[in-house]
Amino acid sequence: MKKYILRRILKSIVSIFAVVSIIIVMIYTMVPSEKVFDNDAGAKKMKGDQLTTYKLRKLEELGYLDFASRLEMCTATFGDDAKACQDGDEAMNAQAVEAFAAKGYEIKELKSGEQYAVHNYRWYELLWRFYSKLVVVDSKNAIQDPDNPDLEHKYYWGKNPYNGTPALLCSGCTYKYQMYFNGTFPFIHQNKFKLNFGTSFPTNQGVATTQVINDGQGSNKKISQTFETGLEEESALIQTSCQYKYLTDHLDEKRFTDHYATCRSFHESPSMVETSYILGLIALVIAYVMAIPLGISMAQHKDKAIDKIGIAYINLLIAVPSLAFIFFMRSIGTLFNLPDKFPQLGFKDIRSYIMPVLILALLQTPSLMMWLRRYMIDQSNADYVKFARAKGLSQREIFRKHILRNAIIPIVNGIPGSIILCISGALITESAFAVPGMGKMLPDAIKQTNNNMVITLVFIFTALSILSVLIGDLLMTVVDPRISLTEKGGE
Amino acid sequence: MSEQGKNIILSVKDLEVKFKVRDRVLTAIRRISMDFEEGKVVAIVGESGSGKSVFTKTFTGMLEVNGEVSGGEIWFEGQDLTKIKKDSEWEKIRGKKIATVFQDPMTSLNPVKTIGDQISEVIIKHQGKSKTEAKKMAIEMMGKVGIKDPDKRYDEYPFMYSGGMRQRIVIAIALACRPRILICDEPTTALDVTIQAQIIRLIKDLSEEYGFTTIYITHDLGVVANVADVVAVMYAGQIIEYGNVDEIFYDSRHPYTWGLLSSLPQLGEKGEDLFAIRGTPPSLFEEVKGDAFAPRSNYAMKIDYEQEPPFFKVTDTHYAKTWLLDPRAPKVEPPAAVRELHARMQALTSKGGIYGER
Repeated sequence: MKKYILRRILKSIVSIFAVVSIIIVMIYTMVPSEKVFDNDAGAKKMKGDQLTTYKLRKLEELGYLDFASRLEMCTATFGDDAKACQDGDEAMNAQAVEAFAAKGYEIKELKSGEQYAVHNYRWYELLWRFYSKLVVVDSKNAIQDPDNPDLEHKYYWGKNPYNGTPALLCSGCTYKYQMYFNGTFPFIHQNKFKLNFGTSFPTNQGVATTQVINDGQGSNKKISQTFETGLEEESALIQTSCQYKYLTDHLDEKRFTDHYATCRSFHESPSMVETSYILGLIALVIAYVMAIPLGISMAQHKDKAIDKIGIAYINLLIAVPSLAFIFFMRSIGTLFNLPDKFPQLGFKDIRSYIMPVLILALLQTPSLMMWLRRYMIDQSNADYVKFARAKGLSQREIFRKHILRNAIIPIVNGIPGSIILCISGALITESAFAVPGMGKMLPDAIKQTNNNMVITLVFIFTALSILSVLIGDLLMTVVDPRISLTEKGGE
Repeated sequence: MSEQGKNIILSVKDLEVKFKVRDRVLTAIRRISMDFEEGKVVAIVGESGSGKSVFTKTFTGMLEVNGEVSGGEIWFEGQDLTKIKKDSEWEKIRGKKIATVFQDPMTSLNPVKTIGDQISEVIIKHQGKSKTEAKKMAIEMMGKVGIKDPDKRYDEYPFMYSGGMRQRIVIAIALACRPRILICDEPTTALDVTIQAQIIRLIKDLSEEYGFTTIYITHDLGVVANVADVVAVMYAGQIIEYGNVDEIFYDSRHPYTWGLLSSLPQLGEKGEDLFAIRGTPPSLFEEVKGDAFAPRSNYAMKIDYEQEPPFFKVTDTHYAKTWLLDPRAPKVEPPAAVRELHARMQALTSKGGIYGER
């Protein structure tokens, strides 16, 4: 079993990398790089050589190519003696250009006649560049600040300033709080290992994609907190998220005794992930709570009134396009004074959630009911049910103790998937209610050619799907004794 | 057929069962009367579709939803079982007083519940025992049916058991509440021959120990010869011959019984074609006129097509429903295969024969 799970995890990781690699190669080689600038306000203001250079710089930043201007070519070729070259020594310039041409760079000319070198990355270079910087490990020697020679390089134990629980702190790392505990999922937090997918562009320029997804939304939320200096203040800064800041200012010194002063902020509203997750999870619970008893009673009273009504309901919900259903439900909601757009009342008002959650839940019920009913009816024709009747068990006992247990197995398999994939949000419902959730993230990112964001989301969704299948299978072994996860041929 | 001075446990009178099949009515059981004597092993034989299973299903109210008892009475413990309408009343009889063992042990057990749970479940339900008591009794029962290390195997699942062992568990469940009647609906059909003999032996031993009445439904006449005290031959929803096992095997009177016996594959001679009863059973959707077997019988007389024969008494325990027993009928000899049956059967059931003791 352990061996099997280990192999499964290994295979899962391989498949995640395969999917992400394909996506990377597709995005960087098949989508024209010009499209990156379609939504970029900066590019629209420039023209001529300035625009050309800007684009090349940006593309270099985004990982499409390696760009070297005349000055850079000089520096790269002559090192410390580059001054003369940079000042315009023609022979040296020619030599630098030649050196770059020899390295496989394309030599091009700006309108001004200045030469520059460009190297478009090939697919394996793209992949290498992506994976080599994917995992960032923080270490106590990460920060080398010449202006702060007294900086110690060590790990030590401290306290989480918010709840007093022990925390692993570091001096010399990028992040001060290496590990800490709190009451929000997943309870144990760490800053030692980070996934780096690059920064978002053109929206949220310069912000890491993971942060765009994870950070709260709306205005900053100030809470009263005590800083290391003993200063008590209403502040939005999250102390446990602080990173090393090379140049601290007066305000930082008032709060912090060290250089860890670049912190993220608390926000009024939950992040996109959280928003989608809260909605999705509540909807999921409602869907299961509704669908399971209904499916069971439909199976129990097959061909009776309740079954027929249930089938009509299932047919109706499956037949009506979900968009039509969503808008219909939304207009019903407005009759009860419920908002038709989420931001009207915002995150704090429970009424904002009612209709989106209800719609999400109802949309999930038909297939759940249908399958549960089907599985139960299939099971109720099984021989063991006949034998259970011959044993003298009542119909209710047979349903509860025998049939349900067998019928629920395939349903259980899907539960982890439903729970985990709530994160990915619900595109149509969230769009209809303008819910700031994850649902629109991927289509939006694709539309804006936000490459890093697309890759990040593909990575997250792939990983979650594979994880949910694995957990689903593991859960099956709990409910079905016949299933044991071993390699072919057993241990 | 009922006789005085015998201890009758179950008495069926004029039982008629009808099924609704796609707007047509099929009469599966046509006015059967039969008494089951306490402690005896009764075998009901007949070809597929003759109504054997339907007949016994009426004893536990297990008819399919489209079937109903349309006439007659079934008396058991002073109660007419045909009058029971509610499932809750049937639950007091099913499993508790009359238990059933089905054909396929591979599918008779719930695959996701432990063996132990499935046995103690009945004990808790019918005897109102606590969980621990039920477990103790279940383990004892598992030992009784020949499961080794029952306390260790109590928590195992059916898929960990072989077919034969599963049938032992099914028997353990059926007998857990000490029923008065055990209906075995082709209990060995799905098992291989060596296991068949063991299971039959087991049921026989247990019936002697607990004193329950066994009703076998089978078309394996070898099994019948080995275990049955009484044999009832069914054809087209009726019992057409009824008697002690020896009387049926060695002195049968009904042409259908002769046909059945002649077509025993075990009795076939090498190099000769195996006997087969020609034709097919009558459609039970229509009223059967006269003797249902007449169109297929080599001995049919004119009256067989006109009037249904009554039961003729052969001995005190042996009755047959054929006009051949009427004093006015011409004397006919059963076919040669049936006449030689005694010697052949003896060879089969003695030591070394395929139905012999092992």
